[in-house]
Amino acid sequence: MERFGTWQPKIRGKLFYNWPKGSCEESLRFKSSEQLGTEPYDVVIVGAGVIGCGLAYKLSLYQLRVLLVDRLHDVGEGTSKANSALVHSGYDAEPGTLESELLYKAEIEWPDLASRLKIPIDPIGGIMMAVTREQENQLSAAEKNAHANRATNVHILTAKEIREREPNASKNILGGLSVPSESIGDPFITSIAYAEVALANGVDILLGTNISNVEIDSKPRAPIHHIVSSDNHRIATRRIVNAAGLGGRHFADKYGGSRFDINPRRGQFALLDKSARSLIQHILLPVPTAHTKGVLVSPTIFGNVIVGPTAEDLPLDDPTSTHTTIEGIRKVMEGGSKLVNGLNNQPIIATYSGARCACKQGSYLIRYNDGGKGIVTLTGIRSTGLTASVSLADHLINNLNKEVGLELSLDKEAIDSRPKSAWPGWWQRPFECETPNAREDHGCMSCYCESISIGEIADSINSPLRPRTMDAIKRRTRALMGRCQGFDCQVQIAEIISDRTGIEINKITKNGPGSELVANSQAEAFA
Amino acid sequence: MSNKEHFKVAIIGGGPAGIGVAVGLAKQGVNSVVLIERRTQLGGTPQGYRKKSGSVPTFIEWTRARIVFGEELAQRIIQRLTNTNTKIKLCTHVTKVFPLEKKLSLLSPKGLQEITADAIVLAAGAREQTPSEKGWLAGTRTVRTGFTRHINSWLDNHNLLPVRKPLIIGSDLIAYSAAAKLRAAGSKEPVMINQRKRPVASLFERLFFRRWTRPDWRGGTSTINLSGDFTMINANTEDKTNSEDSGGDAIIYSGNLVPNTELALMAEMAVESQSRKLKLFKGQSMSSPGWFAAGNVLGGFHGAQWCYFNGKRLAKTLKQYLTKKVTA
Repeated sequence: MERFGTWQPKIRGKLFYNWPKGSCEESLRFKSSEQLGTEPYDVVIVGAGVIGCGLAYKLSLYQLRVLLVDRLHDVGEGTSKANSALVHSGYDAEPGTLESELLYKAEIEWPDLASRLKIPIDPIGGIMMAVTREQENQLSAAEKNAHANRATNVHILTAKEIREREPNASKNILGGLSVPSESIGDPFITSIAYAEVALANGVDILLGTNISNVEIDSKPRAPIHHIVSSDNHRIATRRIVNAAGLGGRHFADKYGGSRFDINPRRGQFALLDKSARSLIQHILLPVPTAHTKGVLVSPTIFGNVIVGPTAEDLPLDDPTSTHTTIEGIRKVMEGGSKLVNGLNNQPIIATYSGARCACKQGSYLIRYNDGGKGIVTLTGIRSTGLTASVSLADHLINNLNKEVGLELSLDKEAIDSRPKSAWPGWWQRPFECETPNAREDHGCMSCYCESISIGEIADSINSPLRPRTMDAIKRRTRALMGRCQGFDCQVQIAEIISDRTGIEINKITKNGPGSELVANSQAEAFA
Repeated sequence: MSNKEHFKVAIIGGGPAGIGVAVGLAKQGVNSVVLIERRTQLGGTPQGYRKKSGSVPTFIEWTRARIVFGEELAQRIIQRLTNTNTKIKLCTHVTKVFPLEKKLSLLSPKGLQEITADAIVLAAGAREQTPSEKGWLAGTRTVRTGFTRHINSWLDNHNLLPVRKPLIIGSDLIAYSAAAKLRAAGSKEPVMINQRKRPVASLFERLFFRRWTRPDWRGGTSTINLSGDFTMINANTEDKTNSEDSGGDAIIYSGNLVPNTELALMAEMAVESQSRKLKLFKGQSMSSPGWFAAGNVLGGFHGAQWCYFNGKRLAKTLKQYLTKKVTA
């Protein structure tokens, strides 16, 4: 019988980490651009967040040579990992905008996408709650707006109806809006799933590579540009898509893209323990203001509760853009307590913050042939990026065909669902699935809080994107993410990575070279 | 291995407290006892403090009036267990609890199993409080962030010095022992940061560790704001009057134990939600009948020997409970 965790899918793409010697296996290490082949790429996507990965996935269905590059050391490492993890229905978008259109399409596609790509989502629905008279008066406008966005199932609820659905709702609730199509999803797996399918279909992925320069070819017909990495690897490509998110402005400067200004908007979150999950049944949303959607209280797909975010405008390049502040966390807990009773008694197990890529020139800003023929700038994608990643990719591919002459012919060999791999996902437990053919190490726990076994961690190490950092393992398996925040398992997980990959234990990093877990020296007294 | 087993007493946790219960029960003549440990070896927290030349002994053995390495103390405690008939299940994780039936679902390398017992003892110990639980720290999520347990693993199991200039948050015996171990292994003098004006560790404890460490003390801190990139950390500590920066390359959260009461929470037994302390009744019993607790899971910070004797004492209560149950 086939053992759990032994499957290896057919992978047509190449995967490299631009890491120093010893930080990953030699076979994964990027040494020269020849490893990627000499033929120029049809499309190079810069930025492997959820948008870049989504585009790579959709492009992988066509006969194209595509490369996905990121400066960080796993897919979905930036803003895509620190957000509210909601799959929006788009009821509150501005009607008639591209965002509204994309969210409408995304809502239709998500259930099917989630099952094909094995992305855990749960359509638990949302309730918008008004706690002041003023907010209550805004509800009918919000309902009208939702209907204009074709979210016809949105309707007004009385305070009594809300209390029936949410027994722990605060006493101050005056009324609300039911938003049945809001879902919670796994933001980490979304990027990973897209990238795994893309890789299987022949998209090349290059991680840990900073691009220092773009050489523009000014030929009017079929130009071949080059992107140059900071360690001088030149990669030829016909088209470039800038999906670098917060780094998009810097990258645009390298190819002379026209002006846009990013103001990262920091959102801080508090993550509550699983004991808080029984307090709420739905995603509880406040009535939004002009500036922000406000502090929401939502279950996560993992069984915790998140409270947040704040909305703090920061200048681009502010090094504190992903800091948390005591003030900020206090604010989100205050905001959350306005909606739910008993929230303040729940222990906070972690706090985090992410920066939304807010662009002054507008949201979902797309510019074709920006700074050079075949170069596309993509920016201003804020909180709805996770949801819209799938429909935005379709939208882009259509327009790439029209605007930058990308020829599209379907790849018959391409698969449209996530291949079965060594690691089936954190939601499939080896000893609980239908055919229990688990190994012994699947019964030996490493992370006690989330009950993740040594075997599952080892399986995730063998999954298609070959995660080699602690954070990458954490986002896949959920080990280190529980209530003890790595008290029990941190060192053991480093040991497992080292053991299974041959990387020396003092070279194991949190999130890529330079973030080694231990100061790299022998203890003097024991040397 | 049969898929269902019944025992008189099931003990969750193979540290000093759990072993104490097992040894005590054997002395009371209670047979059919199972000890469930999720790690691959018995001994719990003290077992992680290995005996090494050049290292620092940190455990007080009151009965011999000596300070020893945790491993030595654990071994002596385990030795007493080997003389009993206790059934030991290592590498076994409790996945579900059914408080009324007194049933436990277990997962081990051999697979899933269910056991029932007449009485169940939670001796799951405690862990160190995380930065978010403390609530007075914010800033970046720095790379080298760890607990005292990690320091022990890196130093004792891997011979690696995990940090050159430590910033230690906490000031109890655990914090001082971490500081001393790191100093003995070659780190610079740690900065020790705490909300309290005076260290939690007693004068005697501080005097003992003075041989190795005299931490740079930053008491009375009201907030810490962490900044810095990957491996350089700057802790900006603020109290009412001034703000001060301290640099280091790792931050260690030490002490401030949180009881491991998750199984009780999972079973919806009475647990105070913020502090996660068990609500205890007479004779260290929990809110569900037939459930008892021993050792550091009771809350607070107790030494290994205290936990062992606490477990041993609980065995008497258990014996009474079991006899009453038979006669009833």
